[in-house]
Amino acid sequence: MAKLIWLCLNFVILCSTVGAVFEDQVGKFDWRQQYVGKVLFSNFDAQSQSSKKVIVATENNVFASLNIRTGELFWRHVDAIGPEGKIDALLHHGQDALLVVGDGRLLRSWEINIGGLNWEIVLDSGSFQSACLIGQQDIVKHVAVLKKTAISLHYLSNGHQKWIENLPESETVDYQSVYSGGNGEVYVLGIVPHSHIAIVVYSLDDGEIIRQFSVEAPWLSNIQASCAVIGEGMLTCADSATVSLYMLDLESQTEMSQIPLQSLGLEVTPGFQPVLRSTQPNAARPPLSEFFLQVGPEQHLLLQLNDGQIVTLRDFNPALLVSFATTGEKTIAAVMSPKNTTACSVNLFSAETGRRLLDTTLIFPLDPNGGKPEELYVQAFLKKDDSVGYRIMVQTEDHTLTFIQQPGRVMWTREEALSDVVTMEMVDLPLTGTQAELEGEFGKKAAIQDGLFSMVLKRLSSQLILLQAWISHLWKLFYDARKPRSQVKNEVTIENLSRDEFNLQKMMVMVTASGKLFGIDSKTGTIVWRHYLDNIPANAAFKLMVQRTTAHFPHPPQCTLLIKDKDTGLATLHVFNPIFGKKSHVTPPAMPQPILQSLMLPVMDQDYAKVLLLVDDQYKVSAFPSTKNVLQQLQEIASTIFFYLVDSSQGRLSGYRLRTDLSTELIWEVVVPTEVQKIVSVKGKRPNEHVHSQGRVMGDRSVLYKYLNPNLLAVVTESTDTHPERSFMGILLIDGVTGRIIHEAVQRKAKGPVHIVHSENWVVYEYWSTKSRRNEFSVIELYEGTELYNSTVFSSLDRPHAPQVLQQSYIFPSSISTMEATLTEKGITSRHLLIGLPSGGILSLPKMFLDPRRPEIVTEQSREENLIPYAPELLIRSEWFINYNQTVTRVRGIYTAPSGLESTCLVVAYGLDIYQTRVYPSKQFDVLKDDYDYMLISSVLLALFFATMISKRLAEVKLLNRAWR
Amino acid sequence: MLHRDRIPLLWVFLQAVLVVALGFSDMETGPGGAGVSVQQPNGDRFKIEGRAVVPGVKTQDWVSSARIFVEGEEFVGFVRTDGSFAVNDVPSGSYVVEVITPNYRFEPVRVDITSKGKMRARLVNYIKTSEVIRQPYPLQIRANGPQTYFMKRETWGWTDFLMNPMVMMMVLPLLIIVLLPKVVNTNDPEMRKEMEQSMNMLNPNPELPDVSELMTKLFSGGSKPSTKAITSKGTRPAVKRR
Repeated sequence: MAKLIWLCLNFVILCSTVGAVFEDQVGKFDWRQQYVGKVLFSNFDAQSQSSKKVIVATENNVFASLNIRTGELFWRHVDAIGPEGKIDALLHHGQDALLVVGDGRLLRSWEINIGGLNWEIVLDSGSFQSACLIGQQDIVKHVAVLKKTAISLHYLSNGHQKWIENLPESETVDYQSVYSGGNGEVYVLGIVPHSHIAIVVYSLDDGEIIRQFSVEAPWLSNIQASCAVIGEGMLTCADSATVSLYMLDLESQTEMSQIPLQSLGLEVTPGFQPVLRSTQPNAARPPLSEFFLQVGPEQHLLLQLNDGQIVTLRDFNPALLVSFATTGEKTIAAVMSPKNTTACSVNLFSAETGRRLLDTTLIFPLDPNGGKPEELYVQAFLKKDDSVGYRIMVQTEDHTLTFIQQPGRVMWTREEALSDVVTMEMVDLPLTGTQAELEGEFGKKAAIQDGLFSMVLKRLSSQLILLQAWISHLWKLFYDARKPRSQVKNEVTIENLSRDEFNLQKMMVMVTASGKLFGIDSKTGTIVWRHYLDNIPANAAFKLMVQRTTAHFPHPPQCTLLIKDKDTGLATLHVFNPIFGKKSHVTPPAMPQPILQSLMLPVMDQDYAKVLLLVDDQYKVSAFPSTKNVLQQLQEIASTIFFYLVDSSQGRLSGYRLRTDLSTELIWEVVVPTEVQKIVSVKGKRPNEHVHSQGRVMGDRSVLYKYLNPNLLAVVTESTDTHPERSFMGILLIDGVTGRIIHEAVQRKAKGPVHIVHSENWVVYEYWSTKSRRNEFSVIELYEGTELYNSTVFSSLDRPHAPQVLQQSYIFPSSISTMEATLTEKGITSRHLLIGLPSGGILSLPKMFLDPRRPEIVTEQSREENLIPYAPELLIRSEWFINYNQTVTRVRGIYTAPSGLESTCLVVAYGLDIYQTRVYPSKQFDVLKDDYDYMLISSVLLALFFATMISKRLAEVKLLNRAWR
Repeated sequence: MLHRDRIPLLWVFLQAVLVVALGFSDMETGPGGAGVSVQQPNGDRFKIEGRAVVPGVKTQDWVSSARIFVEGEEFVGFVRTDGSFAVNDVPSGSYVVEVITPNYRFEPVRVDITSKGKMRARLVNYIKTSEVIRQPYPLQIRANGPQTYFMKRETWGWTDFLMNPMVMMMVLPLLIIVLLPKVVNTNDPEMRKEMEQSMNMLNPNPELPDVSELMTKLFSGGSKPSTKAITSKGTRPAVKRR
């Protein structure tokens, strides 16, 4: 019991030392941005005129509702990652949205106002083909889901299956599409490629086959791509080989009639597959007889089917995108056509006549740093005078959603590319002109030669400049104070971006999977610049490096992005200025060979750019920048440059040394047999990490020195055998220069995914214990012992003694998504582990809890060292979540950067959302607290002052009285 | 400590009562009549179902931000507008089921599914993994309050200021210094003698005053100075005893 109380007490003490968020700090220095991903399906909520919702389903398996006024989320549902959560179809009917999820595994119905689930049912197995709403007599009550071998009909109200029927001859016929015109019949369209179309008509009431027939169509290969149902059940297909339309009346005919496009006076761009686009505003009624035919990349035609005859209503050339929209009984066609290089114009046309509607032009500005428009979503509504008004949502290639109102006012843009951040860096902001002037006073060599007098003059002038800046700042404050608060906007632009006193505001350079780069101000989350790189391969790997920081004033800062195609290994470099996002004038070298490894050296060229070494598959090294100066420096230090290569497919780790002629020699090699285990990850230490204390003071006043090897690599392996009894994971600590294995540990009955953090003299990793079905943390710490071998310099080549290795494991009551350690300027502040949990919380766990020296039995010495007694389970306290209820869904990475304050570490967590905050692992010991009581201290001082005055006076009076006595 | 212990116990009891009550009410209404309670073995895939309740909060206020996690993010389910949920397509095994909401705290439950589809729910215990404390199935998960993410700021009040040991340390001796001469008649020679004596006892070596020792002697507890004040103004034997 006493032990328990002691534990509790200790815990209470510790909790008070661990920083947490105070309620009044909410939103003060943290922000979150929520994203949904690239939109696949989108529907405007059209049930009422004043509705302000758009529902979207995205590639990231997210189903969300956006506010069309602001672009913010009403609600969002994030399904499982991967094919299980993939959204196959979105159907929208009134208050409900129907989703087919996971290749036809589930059918869900959502209430779109509050975002709650109405019902969810499991569909029979079979891969999903198509789904559609089925109506009868103007009421939509059912939904049909077409699978490879069966069709099922479900009630909209509760998801119950009305009937399910197997499709005839499903082995040979590829059923692709389902259609209903609201007459109580359900048409299933299938195809035998290059032979015929098979059509099965089911009765809506009981699922009986009413009719079944097939039509010759040897030219057709895919119904969904080239066919559409138009008007009263007229199946229309376009064929590029014969340049004609084929039509089939689904109700009566059994033969397709061919209409050559030439007879309509139309031409198709050679090699272009014509695309049909029809519209069915109400599922209980047949589609409209008007449709779009795209005959070229930039040419669309509005056609009408009139008594079996096709009439051209209007020819749109050039037209980038077209779309139908319906409001009330009116259907309109919106057409986007290029205007000039910076904008597109959108116009509305009446679908029935093809006439242009007056005053409906809308300008869509093209972002020069963005992509081309890709999809057009139109929300039409009736104005009071019965004319049609509309708003559009445009999706561009770079996954940006832009919402525009007439006559071209951009209501909001959403950069959905940010839902998939791959890597990021934080770059210091540049100094302002005045600050730079001050710095320059001391920096320039010429200044010293100028002599005393000019130095004094310079100092005076710079002080004057400072005074001027201060006065103008005061004036601005005064001026702003008079304005109402709502008008004062501190907009962040490139001009007013400058470093703050403690370097807490930085530029976040984010690289997204779509190839769009962003520069985000870390204080407010404003996107300062964006740059879309086209021609990014689909499975590219990115590595972002800062070659030159902002510290070298006349030279602009420089970042280099290495883009590598994972298949071919070929890489390209994109060199840019991280503050402005502009592409640099520096031409990156062409790299004809696949790149195996890249490494940044601390060596700088004469322009203060760090040297980047690239190793190609011939083990030849090329430098960037490769000036004479750099090559000379490289020759001098070549014998001290080592690097390692990992080939996980062959399980080989190899170390190389650079030769003076920039070729390499193999020094060591470690082979992990691939039949037994595979290399999962290799982690070095962060180059910008500082360790303040060389050792730990023990209870008996001796010092335990840390083993601080900057070349240490932590290699994680997993067994290829995944059976729970036999699976294991291994960890190897290898010196990257000599290849010496410092430590090796195997965790039996454990499996991945393994998350690992390697820093200072410790490695923390997390794995899944298959035996106990729980997540476990393990920590390894390395110590040199009580004596240092060589206290001045660490050399991998001269360390004869193996370090002492301590290890301890703990139970963690949750799985984790990602893990990172805090980082501060000088490394004095204690370290915390930032753990991203699947629930979206980011837990700040003190490293103190993961200390292999935690004793099982408390002694006087361990108490003096402040060691917490060992407890097998690590607790998750909700006060330790640094992001309170601002959860970061699907957190994939956490980036930490030091700030100018030793106590403060900047944190960015990214996943589907982006969250930025600051953490204080040892509390804010170098700044006055937010709640510092200025009133109290000044009132106490004042009171003391008056007290002394009064007592002095009293003493004088007393003395005087005594003298009189 | 004791108080803290009692509250969860009470909670468990209350919860148990409520759960039983809910169970009964469920029996009466039936879960929506949707036939959801019927086990649908889909191949060898099963369905985990239950109901999540946040006491005192309408379901529509929290369901849109809620998710059901089965074994981390391996299987994901959503909460219906009435608070019930079902996670489909789960193979047999043992899973930890959690209700994830940013604002409310739910306890996780471990659900075991046999290869025949028999379900059992029990408390999660990561240390003794085989221990079984049965929970109702279909799951009944109640939120045990809103998440407490924030630390309380130390607010400043006069009482805090006065009860501060440092302040007590300063104020009490001051009182003694000011009040003692008035209470005790210093002109009485006998008294003066006695006081000198006591002073000597306090300060055995007047040339080297050990401040720290004095401090620890005097103020190891907040109440000591007051007792001293009483004793020193009191009777003679009390002083002698020291």
